Amino acid sequence: MIVVQFLLIAAFVFLFFVAIRSRTAHGVSASKKLFFMAFIAVLVVAVLAPNLVTEVANLVGVGRGTDLVLYLLAVAFGFYVVNDYLRGQDSRQQLHRLARRIAVLEALERYRLDHRDETRPATDPQAEQSQQAQQAQRADDRDA
Amino acid sequence: MNDVAFVVPVYNEASVIADVIADIHTVTPHVVCVNDGSRDGSAQAIVQAGGYLVDHPINMGQGAALQTGIEFARALPQIQRFVTFDADGQHLVADAVRMLDLLEEGDLDIVLGSRFLGETVGASGAKKVLLKAAVKFSNVTSGIRLTDAHNGLRAFNRHVAETMEITAPDMTHASEIIELIAANSYRYREVPVTIHYTDYSTSKGQASVNAINIAVDTLLRRVTRQ
Repeated sequence: MIVVQFLLIAAFVFLFFVAIRSRTAHGVSASKKLFFMAFIAVLVVAVLAPNLVTEVANLVGVGRGTDLVLYLLAVAFGFYVVNDYLRGQDSRQQLHRLARRIAVLEALERYRLDHRDETRPATDPQAEQSQQAQQAQRADDRDA
Repeated sequence: MNDVAFVVPVYNEASVIADVIADIHTVTPHVVCVNDGSRDGSAQAIVQAGGYLVDHPINMGQGAALQTGIEFARALPQIQRFVTFDADGQHLVADAVRMLDLLEEGDLDIVLGSRFLGETVGASGAKKVLLKAAVKFSNVTSGIRLTDAHNGLRAFNRHVAETMEITAPDMTHASEIIELIAANSYRYREVPVTIHYTDYSTSKGQASVNAINIAVDTLLRRVTRQ
């Protein structure tokens, strides 16, 4: 029993430090870090005092502590899957935008087309003027 | 029709793409072929046939290829009207021309081809049932009433080309385009077109099981895009 407690807590602590010290951790919001710390703390308590988990389980109408842990784990996993899916969609979309940009720019160059502003009709002098005005404006903004 | 650009997503179509490009060249010189990471000689075939080659560095799916093609076509001089056209030879250029005429005459933003108003050659019975079910589903989820939800033949004007942004990379894009028609209040009409299901196009087309993917993705889009 003592051995398994030791191993589990060591694993949790290791996980905690890996997550906190990772180079990308700066980008994670403080509330998420706090939530993660609380989560680890609960895990440690649950390992050290299994009876406490059972008491909590009884409080919410679940017979055994292990059952409660299982239910919570199922919910957490569901959230993780959805979150991971959405994140995957986001990063795929970014990748596609980037690849599309490369493909379009390369093709424009191959066919010697103007790639400063694709949406501008090439034979519309008014649009050209307004674009030049916009560029001048942008240059002003940069200087300012 | 020098103001028309055809956008053709190409994925491993080396054997047929030259014919499709030649067909389109009878009505316009502007054929934008988006080579979506093909592993065969599609890119060379496109260049040799005189189409514009836009080369995806990685395979991204038909929806992504359409969006790329539209963005490139917008940069071509004097293009005012756009057609999306499948690379496997299942569409008729004559149908596209009819749709382009209607676009102008009918004061419309987008004209969609429909298999069920027209003739469907060579589709299996199961395929027809599935496509009909897809239409019902699309009508319910998008609020736009159409008879064919997944037809690759479309004609639209510059306004649509500049405002429509397809984000669904794969075959789901057909449903997404219909949702965008609703969201952007494009003036649309559906016209009968002939689809030629050859052994080639059937083997290239999507498996019917993919309908489940499309349905799930469509529902997820509704949940996540608020």
